[in-house]
Amino acid sequence: MREEASAVDLVGPLAMPGGARPTFESLLQPVLDGAFAVALRYTRNRTDAEDLVQEAALLACRGFQSFSPGSNFRAWFLRILTNCFYSSYRKGKRQGVEVQLEDAPELYLYQETAAAGLHQRSDDPAKLLLEKLTGEQVEAAIGALSDENRVVTTLYFVEDFSYQEIADVVGVPVGTVRSRLHRSRRMLQKALWTIAKERGIVSALTADASEED
Amino acid sequence: MPLPDRLTCEQAFDRLNDYLDRELSPEEMRLVKEHLEVCAVCAGEYKFEAGVISGVREKLRRIDVSAGLRAKISALIAQEETRKTSS
Repeated sequence: MREEASAVDLVGPLAMPGGARPTFESLLQPVLDGAFAVALRYTRNRTDAEDLVQEAALLACRGFQSFSPGSNFRAWFLRILTNCFYSSYRKGKRQGVEVQLEDAPELYLYQETAAAGLHQRSDDPAKLLLEKLTGEQVEAAIGALSDENRVVTTLYFVEDFSYQEIADVVGVPVGTVRSRLHRSRRMLQKALWTIAKERGIVSALTADASEED
Repeated sequence: MPLPDRLTCEQAFDRLNDYLDRELSPEEMRLVKEHLEVCAVCAGEYKFEAGVISGVREKLRRIDVSAGLRAKISALIAQEETRKTSS
């Protein structure tokens, strides 16, 4: 019976109670938006993100037999996309354009906002500052992180993955994810603060505060 | 190393990032929570850090794949499936 069925019959069309394997495309379509959102943060531009998602989709389609039905397809696909980004894409046109941020101390933004007087201005200074930043400015701060830091940061913020899930996608130990993510968050805070200062957000907030005094 | 009955500020601070991410053991989660309930300074730092994380998440816009890319990927997969079938 199996030998007589065509490949199309064997893979589709959808997961049936009888145990038929779902098609690759039926699993891929629901995760494409999320995968593209991740790819866009990895590559930092739409054209490259589209190329990356296409390349990952083709590789995943070719390797679909290695996917275990019932396991997490989204994580499986993101692993392929992340590998793709690291192995082929990263060696290409983007090499050398990375912005290297220096590490920042713990509670960087807390200390800076306190020193600027924002803690007197509001009982929720984090919200006060973040509300003034645009989505593009927050994206720019994430975009300023190095590739490896941006990858874990994206999976954390965009996908809301646990350390273990990030470790599975990136292929590094959980301890590495933990330290990389904590460092990335410190650097992200530094980038957010730098952008807020450069765009006049901090001075506007402190000016508002002094007007009220 | 056995866990203490209660955490010092330093011990709580060392666990702050993992606490924010719900990555501690249930026992450690409880200990940090108890510390934050009685220490205003640590609670203020925790609230700030949690506010930055949620603030960043809120700012990240949802991005959808364009219909064009979706169609292109479907065509790519169909082509690949045909290739697999014929080989």
